[in-house]
Order: sequence, then structure tokens, then C-alpha cells
Amino acid sequence: MKLIERRVSPADSPLAITTAMVVAALAAMLITSLLFTLYQANPLQAYFALFHEPFASWRGFGYTLVRTAPLTLIALGTIVSWRSGFGYLGFEGCFVIGAAATSWLALSTTFSFWTFLPLALLLSFAAGAAWAGVVALIRARFGGNEVLISLMMNYVAILIVQYLVSGPMRAPGGVPETALLPRATWLPFILPGTRAHAGILLALCAALLVWVLLRKTRIGYELIVSGLSPLAARFGGINVGAQLVFAAFCAGGLGAWAGTVEVLGEQHRLMDGISGGVGFTGIIVALLARLNPLAVIPAAVLYGGMTVGANAMQRRAGIPSSITFILQSLIVLMVLASDIFRRYRVKLT
Amino acid sequence: MTSAFFVTWLAASLRLAGPVLLAALGETFAERSGVLNVGIEGTILLGALASFLTDYVTGMVWLSLLAAMLTGIVFNLLLAWMYVTVRASQVVVGLVFNVLAIGIAATVYRRALGESSGPQSVAMFAPLHIPWLSDLPLLGPVLFGQTSLLYLTLVLVGLAHFVLFRTSFGLALRAAGENPSAADAAGISVARMRYIGVLIGGATAGMAGAYLVLAQIGLFRESIVSGQGFIALGIVIFGRWNPWKAALAALVFGACDALQLSLQLGGGNVPPQLLASLPYIVTILAISGLFGGRAVQPAALMVPYAKE
Repeated sequence: MKLIERRVSPADSPLAITTAMVVAALAAMLITSLLFTLYQANPLQAYFALFHEPFASWRGFGYTLVRTAPLTLIALGTIVSWRSGFGYLGFEGCFVIGAAATSWLALSTTFSFWTFLPLALLLSFAAGAAWAGVVALIRARFGGNEVLISLMMNYVAILIVQYLVSGPMRAPGGVPETALLPRATWLPFILPGTRAHAGILLALCAALLVWVLLRKTRIGYELIVSGLSPLAARFGGINVGAQLVFAAFCAGGLGAWAGTVEVLGEQHRLMDGISGGVGFTGIIVALLARLNPLAVIPAAVLYGGMTVGANAMQRRAGIPSSITFILQSLIVLMVLASDIFRRYRVKLT
Repeated sequence: MTSAFFVTWLAASLRLAGPVLLAALGETFAERSGVLNVGIEGTILLGALASFLTDYVTGMVWLSLLAAMLTGIVFNLLLAWMYVTVRASQVVVGLVFNVLAIGIAATVYRRALGESSGPQSVAMFAPLHIPWLSDLPLLGPVLFGQTSLLYLTLVLVGLAHFVLFRTSFGLALRAAGENPSAADAAGISVARMRYIGVLIGGATAGMAGAYLVLAQIGLFRESIVSGQGFIALGIVIFGRWNPWKAALAALVFGACDALQLSLQLGGGNVPPQLLASLPYIVTILAISGLFGGRAVQPAALMVPYAKE
């Protein structure tokens, strides 16, 4: 008698999927606990430090929202592009390009806030859209591999920003960075006593817009069909190449907005290394949300919170914050691997 | 342009082409079997770390190379399981693995060397001057005064070509990537071929990491790979999944990198950051499909195979 037998098709009830995800996340946390013991830390205390600060303290929660905003925007960009079948991975690049465009506008003009903000959003979106659009054009016109080209363009964008902050946009001083942006361009803080800024509101609106775009509009429908089956889409009269370029514009623009809210809300200046890997963490958030624009919000809050908690953990338990990269990626790897268990059922009779 | 400049440039081109070529060789096997391993960047990083730590403790360069190779194989076993057995999306797994690798490398490096210590340098491969040949004028020192790792890499190019195109194993591996159901029907285990392809990729990616530490830089930092794994993926495409052509493509990359480095040292008017982006831009152009027509990749690349 076999205890475990193979299913004809993987279990796909919401319960099965949720159970598999929860088990996967717990497995990832268990593995990470083993790492904590290397630092003679009690895993329970370490996890308490990791989750208490970002979610149970007011100040920490403010920081969580600061980290959530760019993650959400990048995850939304990932969803639009991947749903259309455009495997774009260039969000590190879009982020810094958007940050650079915003900083340039803020430093070279003297508009009032309500004139400045729409202009900055427009400019940043356009810059990001152009940056990602190039890749879509290469893919649609010449058949180049967008996965690799977008990865490579990340390095080009980061080097361009390095050049800007150490050359033309550098402020006098020892560190390669721009001057502080004028106060009039800063995003307003929204929770008293914290650093949470209005960027999170932009991220929430964007999530709603992307949801409407994909679920309720014709163009979103065509986009998803192109992603599911380019050939069928073409037979149905959809211009797949144009869909690709449109999706890339949205993805690049959203990625650039992530850079905009980071400079206008948190950093208030442009410097080298401003992205800190958020372009990839954002993609991971989108994967965790299973490419659903509304599920992105809780996923981004969770991952943003973990980034904040990591610093608290480093201070309190002496565990290096780089461990969160391990935890964050292990969770997604385990969730992906958990699919294999949904292919089997346990037979007890 | 003087001949002295030319000779230095060519020597540097060869030296810089080494790591990406090594990584591209193994990746050719993985892709020929049907797996695109975006996680190569992370494997190179972990290989670099393993070789650095081994070298730091023992001071033996060959042992460090072996450690890097084994590290690459172990981590790619995890990747192969995700790619082949779980049948997860290859780009997704590779990408997430790269983040995992950064976390592991940063954590382990700090744990091993302590928080405050500066960069530690380790023993490196010494250039191997081949008698008589390295005394030849001009090209002698360029071609015959490199490290033994580079010669090993060149030998591996020939070996890889032979195995891929002249052995029944190579045929089976390519069949798994071109037409898995036919290969399956012919009695070839597609899953086994793909595991082997990814593991070969892991071995050479680990060695590529060791190459960076042991023959180029002599120390470890978290940004040591900086996209060279992705460039290796580009070289596989530009080399049309063929080891010899990959060697030529790697040489083009090495030449660009060497050129931008010597221009930086020359102190011209072009900002160094923009020069540093040259190798990436050249790789983008090389794989964009603008030159040399569309690349025809293995037909089942990135398509998971489930036995009926």
C-alpha cells in the first residue's frame, strides 16, 4: 500500500495553495533559525526583534511604510510587464534613472510643491518608460533576449548615476552626492512622529490603477492574452509588439516612480548606491503576491517591514542584517518548491 | 598606437576574458540541455567566496580552485532540483537565487573575517612563463606568460567542444534541449541530462569565481562579480551555444574591458564611470539581434519537461 500517491493534476484549491505557502514560509524561517544559532541568538528573540519593531512600534511602522512604497511600485511594474509576457528585470535601473531625473528637476527649478510634483512624476515616468521601452523595442523588433538585456542595463544605469553624482550634479564635499533637495519639493510626512511620507499613498493609488487596468479594461485584457499566448493573441487581431512596448512603458514608469518617492520622501538627495537592491526585492514581492496587484500591498508591507526589522535585529541581537536577504529569498524559493507537494496526496486508508 | 600599448592591451584582454569564458562554457552545457541558468551570477559569487576563504586559511591556490568548483556544484544541485524536478520558472528561480547568494556571501564573509577588518588579500596564481615561447618578441609574453588558470580554460574550450559534438553523451544532452519528447522516446533521461548540464554549469561558474579571486583581484568583496555572470549568459548567446565561438565572444568582451581600463588609467577626458559601462553596452549590442541575425536557441530552452 502506498501512503503517498500522485495526483492527476496539482491540488489548486485556495486552501491547498494557502497551506502550501504557509508551510513553505515556516520552513524558510526554520532554516534561517539555524543561522541565528550561529550567533548564539535565541531564534524566538531574533524573530521577535525582526517583527516587533516594524509592526508593533509606531516609529518602526512609519519606517515600514517608507520601505513599502518603492517595493509596491516596483512589484506593480513587474506585474504589468510579466503578465504581458515581457520578462523585464531592469527595475534597479529604472529606480535610479527615476531618482536621477527627479533630483535634477528638483535642483534646477523653483516651482511650488503642487506644480513641481506632477511635473516630477511626469518626467520620472517618461524617463523610466524610455529606459524600459528601449528593451521592449529591441525584443519586438530584433528578437533580442529582454531578460539579459534588462539585467545588463541595470549596470549601465547605476554607472550613469555614479557619474552624475561624482561629476555634473556633485555637491561640494567629501562624499559623491548631490546637494539636499529644496524643502519645497519634499513629499509631506503623513503620520505624526514618524518618517512615513505620502509616497505610500501614491503606491496604493498605483496598485488600484493597475488592478483596474488588468481586470476592467480592454487594453489590460489584450495585454494578458498576449502574455498567455502570443500566437492566439495575434490571430485575435491584437498587435502583440505594441502591447509589449506599452507594458514596458508602464513597467519602466512605475519603477522610476519608486526612485522618485525614495528621493522626495526619504533620502532628499541623490547618491550612489541609492537603490540597495530594492529593484530585485520588488520583483520578489510581486512573485510572493502571485502577480496579483492587490495582493502586492500586504506582501510589500511584510517585506518592507522585514527590512526595517533587520536593522533592529542587528542592533539588539548582533545578527547581521544581510540575513534578511537569505530569509526573504528563501521564503519565495520554498513557496516555489512547495508546488511540488501539491502534486501529491496522502492516502491514509 | 605603439606596439607596447598593443601588447599590454592584448595580454589584459586575455586575462579579463578568462572568468566569463569559464562560466560561459558550463552554461553552454546547461542551455544545450534546455536550462537557462540566470542563477549563474550567484554561483560565481559563492565560488569566489569559497575560493577566497580556502585560500585565506590554507594559502593553497589549487585547493581553493577545487573548493570553488565543489561549492558551485553543491549550489547548482539545489538550482537543478528547482529547475528540473520542481519545474519552476527558470528566470524566477535564478533571480531569487542571486539574492540568496548575496545574502549568504555577505553574512558568511562577515562571520568569517569579523565586522571591522579591512579587505584581506590572499595568495594568487603566478604567471606561468612557458620556456622559449614566452621569449618570442611581441606576442610571446602575451600568449605564453599568462596564469595556468587561463591555459586550463583554453584546454576546457577544446574539451567542451569535443564532448558536446563528438560524444554520444553530448548528443543526448543536446537532444534533451532540442526535442525532449523525442529524446525521451529514444531512451534518454531528459531530467538526468538537464541535471548534468546544470551541474557542469555550476562547476565552471564556481571556477570562474575562483578565477576572479585567484588570478585577477586577490581579495573578496561583495561586488566582485558585478554582472559578469549575466555577461557570460550573453556570451553564450553571442557564441551561438558553441564553445569555440564563445571563446571568441569572450575575447571581444575582454578586449573592451581591457580597453576601458587602460583608457581610465590613461586619464583622458571621458569620465571613468561611462568608460566602465562599455563592456555592458557592447554585450547588449551583441545579443540585441541587431548584428548577425537572430540567434537560434535550443528549441526547448526554458521549457520544463514533464514525462508523460
